[in-house]
Amino acid sequence: MILPKFRHIRPRSIEEAVQLLAEYGPETRLCAGGTDLFPRMKYGLIRPEAVISLKGIPVKTPKVAPGGELHLDALMSLAEVARSPLVMKQAPILAEAAFNVGSNQIRQMATLGGNLCLEPRCSFYNQSHTFQFVDPCFKRNGDQCYLLPKGKKCCAVFCGDTASALISLGALVNIAGPQGNRELSVEDLYTGDPLRPIDISEKEILTDIHLPVYPLSRGSSFGRFSLRGGVEFAALNVAVTLDMGEDKTSCLKARIAVGAVRSAPVRMIGAEAAMAGNRLSKERIEEAAHLAAAEAHPFPHHGYTAPYLRECLKVETRRAILLAKKRVDGI
Amino acid sequence: MKQLVELMVNNESYELAVEPQTTLLEVLRNDLGLTGTKEACGTGECGSCTVLIDGRPMLSCLTLALDCSQRDIVTIEGLAEGERMSPVQQAFQDCGAIQCGFCTPGMILSATALLEETPRPTEEQIKKALEGNLCRCTGYNKIIEAVKKASGQIAPDQIIPDKIISEQEQESQ
Ligand SMILES: Cc1cc2nc3c(=O)[nH]c(=O)nc-3n(C[C@H](O)[C@H](O)[C@H](O)COP(=O)(O)OP(=O)(O)OC[C@H]3O[C@@H](n4cnc5c(N)ncnc54)[C@H](O)[C@@H]3O)c2cc1C
Ligand code: FES
Ligand code: FES
Repeated sequence: MILPKFRHIRPRSIEEAVQLLAEYGPETRLCAGGTDLFPRMKYGLIRPEAVISLKGIPVKTPKVAPGGELHLDALMSLAEVARSPLVMKQAPILAEAAFNVGSNQIRQMATLGGNLCLEPRCSFYNQSHTFQFVDPCFKRNGDQCYLLPKGKKCCAVFCGDTASALISLGALVNIAGPQGNRELSVEDLYTGDPLRPIDISEKEILTDIHLPVYPLSRGSSFGRFSLRGGVEFAALNVAVTLDMGEDKTSCLKARIAVGAVRSAPVRMIGAEAAMAGNRLSKERIEEAAHLAAAEAHPFPHHGYTAPYLRECLKVETRRAILLAKKRVDGI
Repeated sequence: MKQLVELMVNNESYELAVEPQTTLLEVLRNDLGLTGTKEACGTGECGSCTVLIDGRPMLSCLTLALDCSQRDIVTIEGLAEGERMSPVQQAFQDCGAIQCGFCTPGMILSATALLEETPRPTEEQIKKALEGNLCRCTGYNKIIEAVKKASGQIAPDQIIPDKIISEQEQESQ
């Protein structure tokens, strides 16, 4: 499979890359690891005039800021994220999520920033359309979605794994643009619109990820379901972070984020509320898992039906909460 | 428009003029004649195009040649020392971990990178390291066995060559 023609530009710094983005205009794409961009270009889904490769920019090593926040470079490879001792300590579920992406080779090439900016996917869209004689879908400027019968809006699914972990941990991202830098929570990064999935303009670059301090009383876990368990996008993933009281049985605050069910990762507000301020009994955890399954409204995707995904979500959420709780207990 | 790039492949330096959209895989196979690196899917799923870039297994079908300047590239042709195969190559041959051989270069490079980082991997670690290399022939068991052997976790006499197995099967029939 061959790539279409494009101009290749290789800046040496983020500042230079921001300048180049402004210069080259909207038909330009950033390439970090290229593991999402190049397959889409090979399938002919996008044909940028220019590709700005971020591979010539030195990657900063993870650093703990004076306030205790952990700063990660968006250009860090997922393999580095998964084995970084600082990430394992301050964001263990981010390391877990990164370790579950794609395959070893993909993780060596793919970057954390690219994973957050991954295009929403759909089994009808993500393929070559050369020999297809059906009308284009919304993502190809058509007016129908093939995922649901008579689909009147695009239902492509955001399948990234690290976003759920970062949302559950309450992480922020730093975005560099022509007007300077701005900070955004990872949760607010996603618009929910599959045609314009992230709140980053064509002139901006995601540069850093900031993780808050990980208190001793915190437990977290990352669960992921897929049929084969390797080189496969998740059917769904769920990240749970619990802040427990001193007695280690009552939950002060919970944050649950679910990915690969809709066009953006979603917080399970109902399930979180069911746990906050309560003792995490078996019944309480079951209730939270039920609430998550009821509030997620998954799109059917990649051959999984919505009722099946709801059942999976119930099971995965229950498991993730139990494991997160266990981890606070230090077992 | 073609651009110049200097590539370091198997400890040899090459200066080439390539189109920006040329992948490392295309350069290796078409310009350098190193056809040990294979292309199957071309989109990151199969691992048959795996090469080592700065010691790490990466997919040459999703890597631009222009992004590889000043990086150390090793292909399957770079593993043997003269006529002597590398320990991983030898183990693959000894264990019958090769059938059609299409996946083998990628498998061996992934396994080589694994053993470099984890000299005595567990079976789980072997599976995780090789999950991105698909094989349509062997059923994977012999490949895992070969990696164990290359890491010194199976003594050579514990491996029953295919010939003996088929003789045993014939006897039992
Ligand atoms: C076989 C296969 C399996 C996969 N499995 C998984 C999986 O299990 N889970 C998963 O999450 N992903 C998976 N992926 C998708 C992809 O590999 C990962 O999401 C990866 O992390 C993308 O990162 P990248 O650096 O390669 O992104 P790129 O391809 O470089 O970029 C992706 C997109 O983000 C934009 N972008 C990149 N960096 C920035 C930045 N710093 N600022 C702004 N925009 C940016 C690019 O312009 C592009 O549109 C898989 C891919 C393949 C081919
Ligand atoms: S050809 Fe590169 S992964 Fe299949
Ligand atoms: S030996 Fe034939 S694909 Fe692996």
